This record gives sequence, C-alpha cells and structure tokens, in this order.
Amino acid sequence: MSQMSNGTAAAVEPMVRIEGLRKSFGDLAVLNDVNLDVMPGEVVTIIGASGSGKSTLLRCINLLETPDAGSVWFQGKDLTSDHVDVNRLREDIGMVFQGFNLFNNMDVLDNCTLAPVTLKKSDKREAERVALGHLESVGLADFAHASVQTLSGGQKQRVAIARALCMSPKIMLFDEPTSALDPEIVGEVLEVMRRLAGEGMTMVVVTHEMAFARTVSDRVVFMDKGVIAEQGDPERMFTAPEHPRTREFLSRYLEG
Amino acid sequence: MGSNQSGAGAPRIARISAFITGDHRYVLLGTSAIAAVGMFLSSLSRPALSFLARAYVVEVVMYYLLAAWLAVAAVALAFKLVQRDAYATASPFVRPAVARALRYGSYAVCAIVAVLVVDRVAMGLASAWQVAVAAPSRPEPMLESMLFLLIKSRDIFFTGFKTTVALAVFGTAIAFFLALLLVFLRIQVPDRSDNDFVRFCKIVGSGFARVYSTVVRGTPMMVQAMIVFFGVFKLFKLTDLTTTQINSIWTTFAAGLVTIVLNSTAYMMEVLRGGIESVDAGQAEAARSLGLSQWQAMRKVVFPQGVKYAIPALSNELVINIKDSSVLSVIGTFDLMFATTTVGGTYYANFDAALITSVVYLCLTMFASWLLGRFAKRLDVRAVKLGSTSCQPINVEEE
Repeated sequence: MSQMSNGTAAAVEPMVRIEGLRKSFGDLAVLNDVNLDVMPGEVVTIIGASGSGKSTLLRCINLLETPDAGSVWFQGKDLTSDHVDVNRLREDIGMVFQGFNLFNNMDVLDNCTLAPVTLKKSDKREAERVALGHLESVGLADFAHASVQTLSGGQKQRVAIARALCMSPKIMLFDEPTSALDPEIVGEVLEVMRRLAGEGMTMVVVTHEMAFARTVSDRVVFMDKGVIAEQGDPERMFTAPEHPRTREFLSRYLEG
Repeated sequence: MGSNQSGAGAPRIARISAFITGDHRYVLLGTSAIAAVGMFLSSLSRPALSFLARAYVVEVVMYYLLAAWLAVAAVALAFKLVQRDAYATASPFVRPAVARALRYGSYAVCAIVAVLVVDRVAMGLASAWQVAVAAPSRPEPMLESMLFLLIKSRDIFFTGFKTTVALAVFGTAIAFFLALLLVFLRIQVPDRSDNDFVRFCKIVGSGFARVYSTVVRGTPMMVQAMIVFFGVFKLFKLTDLTTTQINSIWTTFAAGLVTIVLNSTAYMMEVLRGGIESVDAGQAEAARSLGLSQWQAMRKVVFPQGVKYAIPALSNELVINIKDSSVLSVIGTFDLMFATTTVGGTYYANFDAALITSVVYLCLTMFASWLLGRFAKRLDVRAVKLGSTSCQPINVEEE
C-alpha cells in the first residue's frame, strides 16, 4: 500500500497507527489489509463510495468493531492486545455518530456529564461547569436542560460533539456526522468541526462533504473495496488524482 | 402534546353539554331507542317494592307517552323517506319551533325511562335483597339466589377476595424485582475486556436465566403449584417437624405466593428483555465510545430506557395474576376461586356462585387496568414535561 512516508513527521510518533487491518462480516471482506497513520494535530478525511469500508475502519480505531487481524496502535499502545484496558483508552477517543445517539433518557446537560462523572470521578458541579463551557462553544448553552427529543438534528449533532469533548479526548472520530441532516443545517455542524480543527484537534472524519474534505483536512484518504486506494494532500487529490477509481469518484468535483 | 392529553376532560364535558342542549336531527333516532327500552321495562312484572304499583294510572300514562313518541318518530322517518334530500329544508320536523319542541320532548322521554329504570331495576334489586335476607334456605329465582349466597357466605367470599388481591399484588411486585435481577443475567454477553472468570459467570448466568424461563413458561402454573407445595413439604419432612407444624409454616398461601412469583418472574423477565432489546444499539455504542464499561452503559443508558418501554406490558402482568391465581385453589390456597367452589358446593349452586365470582374478577381486573393505565400515563407525561420545563422556546420544529 502507498504508506505515507512523510520525512518531517517521522520524528513525531503517530497518534494512531493502523497496521494490516482486516475485517469481514461473514463472507464479506470489508477491510482488506489497511495501513494508516494519523499524526497528532492532523485532520484526516476518509472519502469513498458507500460500502467501501470507511465507517468500519473508523469504528475499528476505538474498537467498536473488533478487527479480525492486524493491529490498531493508539498513543503507542496496541488496542487489539488482550492486556489493554479498552474502556480506559476509549475515554481519550471521542466519537460522533451519524445518528447522533444522544441518550434519550437524559437531558442535554446530563448527556454531557454522564461520562465525566462516572469515569473521571469528577465533581458533578465541576463537570457541569465544563459541560456548559462546551455547550456554549457549540452555541447550545441555553438548551442545557432541554430533553434531547426536542432538539433539531443539527442541534443534536452539536450536543453530541460537546458530549465527546467533555471527556477531553486526544482525538475525535466523526462517522458521517452530517449525513442524517438536511442540507440547510449541515453548515452549523461543519462550522463547529471546522473550528475544532482550527484549535488543533486531531480528527478522523468519514464524510461525503467534499468541500469540507478539501478545505479543512490536512490529508484525504480515498477508500475503495476495503483498501486505501489513494491518499494525499487535499489539493492534489481534488485536482490531480492518480488512481482511476479516485478520478471516477471525484469526477463531479474535479470539474467544479 | 402533553397539554392536550391532560386538558381533555373539560372539552369533553363541554361537548356533551352542547350535544344535550343543542337542537339536532339525531334527537328522534336516539330517544326512540330509549323509549323502546322504557316500554320493555314497563312490560316486565312489577317487583314487590315497586312504587309505580301504587300509581297504576301514572304508569299507564307514561307507557302511552312513550308509544306516542315512537309514533312521532315513525312519522318523521316516513317524511324522511318520502322527501329524501328535500327533508333538511322542506320537512315540518326541521322548523326551529318543532325542533325545540322535539328537544323538550326528548328530555321528557329520558325522564320517564329513568323513572321506569328505578322502579324496575333498582327496586327489583331491593326486593330481591329483601327476599334473600329473609329467606331461611336458598330461594329458587336467580337474582334472589345469588344475593342469598352473597349474604350468607360474605365472610368466605371476602377472605377469598383478600387472598386473591394479596397474591396478585405482592406476587407481581416481588416478581418485578426478581425479573429485574434475572434479566440482568439473561442479557449478559462476554465483552472483550472481561477476564475468564467474569466470562464464565456471564455465560452460566445467562444460560440459567434462559433455562429457567423456558421451563417455567413451558409448564402449566397448576402443575408448578403442586410441585412447589408438595416438593417443599417433602423437604420439611426431612426435618423432625410434625405435619401440623409444617402446615403452619409452609401454608398454602405461602406456596401460592411462591408459585406466582416464580411464574411471573419468568414472564416479566421476557417482557423486560424485549424492552431492553428494543433500545437502539447506538445508545450503547455511544456510551461505550465515551469509555463506559458494558455494565455502566447498561445501567445508566440502556436499562432505564428498556424498562420504560416495557412498563405497559409489565403492568399487564398484574391483571394476568389476578386471574391466574385462581389455579392455586388446586393446592387449597383460599383465594376467590376456592371460596367459590366452597360456597357453590355448600348450597348446590355452582352456577350462581361462579356468576358472582366472575363479576368480582371482572371488577378487579377492570379496576387494576384503569389504575395501571393512569400510572403509565403519568410516567409518560412526566417524561414530556421534562422537556418543556426549559425556559427557552425549544419546540421550534414542532410548530
């Protein structure tokens, strides 16, 4: 595979290193020997057709899917080894889902404080202060005591981002965060993500928002049939892709 | 949406009063049916306490008034059939004055029928009660016979009633908590972070719950009652207690309660499992992605939602237990069914006794359903209220 050998980043240890990852559901091989490094502070977007294994790759990073073979290293620890406390490591890996997955039995603030209070044993009041800060930053501090059912899709997704940030993660994984939203409110979520990227958060984003991939990310990864077909600088990927599948997939965007 | 439900009472009363005080074209159709009922009641023989017996002329007048009303209704129907679509404009029956007269006439009809209902039904019951109280042995007529049984055996019935209620209420309540425990075992799946011991415990626990549920739900409760009662009795026999002593400890009530609890636990566990499994998998995934353990995600996120989904079906179990406790009479638990067979046997009136009991069971189950319905509604309303307590206008989407 075209493993990225970046001379300047070689001194820094990658935040996430994926090696020889394989995953299949039944007879269907979804991931076929995938290798990927994510450097600290880097924003990586993963694009590709539906069923190309993007989401599965992302879900392997925090082991929501258990890989069949290969290993996932996070900050120098092999998540796939039996001796690693996965729950502890997941605290440092924030994740945002396509379907929001806010806890329906709690209000917005409790959604944000559940994990910090349960896992970091932080004081409830302190956790609420931190959570309100994050809700403020996504523009939803006024909704702290609203029940999640009353929020719009865009608001739900912004709460989901705030909830993940409350654990002060080292890296954020976004699994098609805007695919369930109607086009008018996609912008408010992308805006939050754009700002987060600007603040230096390490991010891996599976998305169909090509404009976002092109303008925000440091690297674009194109997946096809369970392998990384091509990856590289977003400008190059969107102007002069090398792989025929990438050219085909991006043809609409290349013209524009 | 919560406010609509809670405020449904007042508009309904307003609707009914508007229906009663308004002139409309259903007046003849509805009241002629009521008048027919009144004429039927009038044709029944008068009970001993009938007050209309002393005012024979009044009843005759009332009877013919009802007949006249039916005649008017028949004429109106004839007009309708002849005039068809023109009826609404051309018929004499739709003139305002006539319509108002018909409305007052309908009040009179309802009043007359009400008097007849009191005279025949209420006074009939009172007369039967008088007969039943005074009778030295069971009278033949059905109503008197049932009242006689009820009066003579009220203590037996009441004891049975209390036992049935106690069995159903305590049995369901205890079973609910046991089902909560058991469903925890049932839904355990080994997680990758578990060590071998935890893994083993989870597999054994889940397997136990599965086998328990299959066995209990696959055998009749009557048989379970016998196994529990006689089985534990045999165990007690191993000690040096006498039979009398054992019977005072291991009573038929205790055995009955244990049977109901064992049985209900299995069913409620399955209901809870259904509720928990209907919670979106994304809820648990989101909790796990934040670093919560399987147990924490289950306890804080999935379980509360699953139990809430299951509440309507769970409360139904109380109604089922009210009825199903009747099979416990096989081991001699003194419940309502046992009381019924006792009374029926004593007076050679099994049918009458069964009829009384069925009415009591029906009242009990209807009352329990009503109570549980209110309870479930209140839980839902509270959930909705939680959202609307925010001072912010958050229902933008709904508008």
